[in-house]
Amino acid sequence: MSAAPAQLFPEFIAETLGLPGVAGEVVAALIAAFVVGNIVLAFTGVAGPWAKRKITAAFTDRVAVDRVGPFGLLIIPASAVQLLAKELIVPEGVDRPTWDLAPIVLPASALLGFAVIPMGHLGPVNLQLADPEVGLALVFAFASIASVSLVMAGYASNNKYSMLGGLRAVAQNLAYEIPLIVTAMSVVIFAGTLQMSGIVSAQQEVLFTVGGFDVPAWYALVNPFAFVLFLTANMAEIGRNPFDIPEAPTEIVAGYQTEYSSSYFVLFYLGEFVHIFLGGAILAVTFLGGAAGPGPESIGFVWFVVKIWAFFLFTQWCRSALPRVRIDQLIEIGWKGMLVLSFANLVLTAVLVGVIV
Amino acid sequence: MSLEPLDSPDADVVPDRTPEELEALLGDLVVGRDDHLNAPGFVIRPDTVQETLSTLKSEAGYDHLSVVTAQEYENRYESIYHLKKFDDPTQEVSVVVPADKDHPVSESAEPVFRTADWHEREAYDLIGIEYDGHPDLRRILLPETWQGHPLSLDYDQNQPQIASLPAHVNPIQEHHKDAESDTMYLNIGPHHPATHGVLHLKTVLDGEQVVDVESDIGYLHRCEEQMAQNGTYRHQIMPYPDRWDYISAGLLNEWAYARAAEDLADIEVPEYAQVIRTMGAEMCRIAAHMLALATFALDVNGDFTATFMYAINDRERVQKLLEDLTGQRLMFNYFRLGGVVWDLPEPREEFFSNTRDFLDQLPGSVEEYHDLITSNEIFQMRTIDTGILPPEVAKNYGATGPVARGSGVDYDLRRDDPYGYYDELEWDVITEDGCDNYSRLLVRMQEVEESAKIIGQCIDLLEDWPEEERNIQANVPRTLRPDDDAEIYRAVEAAKGELGIYIRSDGTDKPGRFKIRSPCFSNLQTLPEMANGEYIPDVIAALGSLDIVLGEVDR
Repeated sequence: MSAAPAQLFPEFIAETLGLPGVAGEVVAALIAAFVVGNIVLAFTGVAGPWAKRKITAAFTDRVAVDRVGPFGLLIIPASAVQLLAKELIVPEGVDRPTWDLAPIVLPASALLGFAVIPMGHLGPVNLQLADPEVGLALVFAFASIASVSLVMAGYASNNKYSMLGGLRAVAQNLAYEIPLIVTAMSVVIFAGTLQMSGIVSAQQEVLFTVGGFDVPAWYALVNPFAFVLFLTANMAEIGRNPFDIPEAPTEIVAGYQTEYSSSYFVLFYLGEFVHIFLGGAILAVTFLGGAAGPGPESIGFVWFVVKIWAFFLFTQWCRSALPRVRIDQLIEIGWKGMLVLSFANLVLTAVLVGVIV
Repeated sequence: MSLEPLDSPDADVVPDRTPEELEALLGDLVVGRDDHLNAPGFVIRPDTVQETLSTLKSEAGYDHLSVVTAQEYENRYESIYHLKKFDDPTQEVSVVVPADKDHPVSESAEPVFRTADWHEREAYDLIGIEYDGHPDLRRILLPETWQGHPLSLDYDQNQPQIASLPAHVNPIQEHHKDAESDTMYLNIGPHHPATHGVLHLKTVLDGEQVVDVESDIGYLHRCEEQMAQNGTYRHQIMPYPDRWDYISAGLLNEWAYARAAEDLADIEVPEYAQVIRTMGAEMCRIAAHMLALATFALDVNGDFTATFMYAINDRERVQKLLEDLTGQRLMFNYFRLGGVVWDLPEPREEFFSNTRDFLDQLPGSVEEYHDLITSNEIFQMRTIDTGILPPEVAKNYGATGPVARGSGVDYDLRRDDPYGYYDELEWDVITEDGCDNYSRLLVRMQEVEESAKIIGQCIDLLEDWPEEERNIQANVPRTLRPDDDAEIYRAVEAAKGELGIYIRSDGTDKPGRFKIRSPCFSNLQTLPEMANGEYIPDVIAALGSLDIVLGEVDR
């Protein structure tokens, strides 16, 4: 089942605005990237100052922000102003410009990942910037640049807590990136392509029918084992509980973030949230049928948003409920557990696909 | 005692000896008697401290050095080693070591009792006695640069105290930094998310592993002992205990002072007041243990754990009851010598039903914590077999309270040295044999339930108490002047362990010497034993499981 490839977002803009030639393509691509980037940043804006507080409060029996605006929503601009208005403290002995670049690299790497994510249709618009044949490999490549940023921050901060945080970030990313990608490869074996739109459309087939309701062949349903593995590795990859070891506030203060304040801190925060959403987006595309859902294709984006926010909710749930594992235990889980399981899953999937197809 | 197997304390019980038999046992070591109200006191020469203490420890079974009190008289210095038995804390003996007025030097007890390390450092710091053979005789509460010893008689309060650390550094001291070293020195605290106050841990790391950790305390030292020495027995001292362990353990602390002073002045407390005291104290214990649970969950889980808020909620419930009872939320000041300040709040029925509501919902809450944390696999992975404190080590360091009971040391003053109304009530002493962070948490959680049992029984008693017999205070003279040179050491089971008070009266209405034996002080001393060789997160967890309050450590 290979439908005609949908028109991508930049092409749609070029056509709608009537921008001709190469220059037109470039302008249209920039406009499209600007729109997508802002959509993601808007998620982050809602998530950081408002949704995160509300969700955590709900989990911990508290009342969160509710003074400013309806449901406390105006806390978003208030917090933004407050955070940006703070003094940027540059400690002595930091290694510039590495120290200044780290907070830019983190959100940039996560935002870049969204370039190939098929976010589904919104009306006539297909919100996907690019659909290269190596899409999945590319998105992992972008996402893993984040650890470079953490090391830069940890190493350049001239602070031992930051240093420990940076080292932990590297150890953690090495231990979990491999199981993550190997598990994703099992999806590729199913779909037979690395192209994001191909992976999504492969999941549109009907797995089985229950009472007249077609259950789609989402890989989370086809291979729940791989889904759980991927979800776990993803939590470690984005550094959320129980794997928030590079920050571990009660142990190493704030890890690589310790010395950052004001706008740099905001950039880190932003980067982390974009990273969570990117993690959710990858999960949605590879295991949850991308933008698929009940209703017409033109509201696919809504389903996509629901899926990545569900993932965000899940991260916050874990944050409220789960203890943090220790660094040596984390490495052990990664190398001795996840890696073996992910290869087992890969072999199993390959055999299954080989037998069935 | 140290030679016999500790897992079977009854196997070879050392017989209790009379003071005369003890004196005979010590023989020539004893040069005089200076009996205290609570225990016989043997005066020994300052160069025979180790011999005397090791004789008492190994042959007479006095295996618990509760505290070292130091003081200065007009003609001499004096260190008092208050010894007890973990098996039977009513068996007490004081070893009194006078030291020369001009050169106060006394032999260190550290080789016999590890706990003497910090206690003697404190004595050196505040009084000025030097301990010969002490491994590390430095100031402990005051800054290294401090001039003079504040509790000594000739201390000049007005002398300037500003000496910078560089000006104080000894230029010929060896330099410890080694360029070839693989280790990293890390300051954890005094401001750190997990130090539970202003505690400074000087840690040496090898990668993520802790090679050495040293606690630097004293940031919260407020001269509580000296303040108590400047207050009158009757009214002016009682507010201070609330400020030692301020994690809502106020009534437990007040009881420590009340018990010592009442025994010193021979005051009988009416039974009705004892029941109220018992009930209030156990409410404080629940509040304190709930906070310990909450902060331990923070240390292990991370910043925004639901457990923290749930436990704080439960603590709030008991805090409301305490507020009803005492009129205060933090600094209760509810006990008086000879009783309590006022009766239960009116209407009594409302107080009883509120308390019963709280007791009824408590088992459900505890069950929830078991679901949330103790039965969580990650939590178990983090806490079981980390922060190991073997029972012999715990005893040697004078660890008490949930810390000792989590190491299987069956020691609880409420049962072993009864006071208040405890011996009339049905409850159990909780011990766990795990010796790890997990056991200490389990002990606290079960103690909460035992406290609830006690409160329930007290409520029943109070409800049926005949109205005409509700006597909340004994007749106590307006001014108390205990006999000159009477000395007493009394301890109660506070939230963190054995909280003891030593008072020496000097014939006036204020104590001549007021010494606080803080359980946290002794418990914190065990941290290196638990932490060395473990990972940073384990140190944080071990520190959390010790449940220290810096207000009580530093006093």
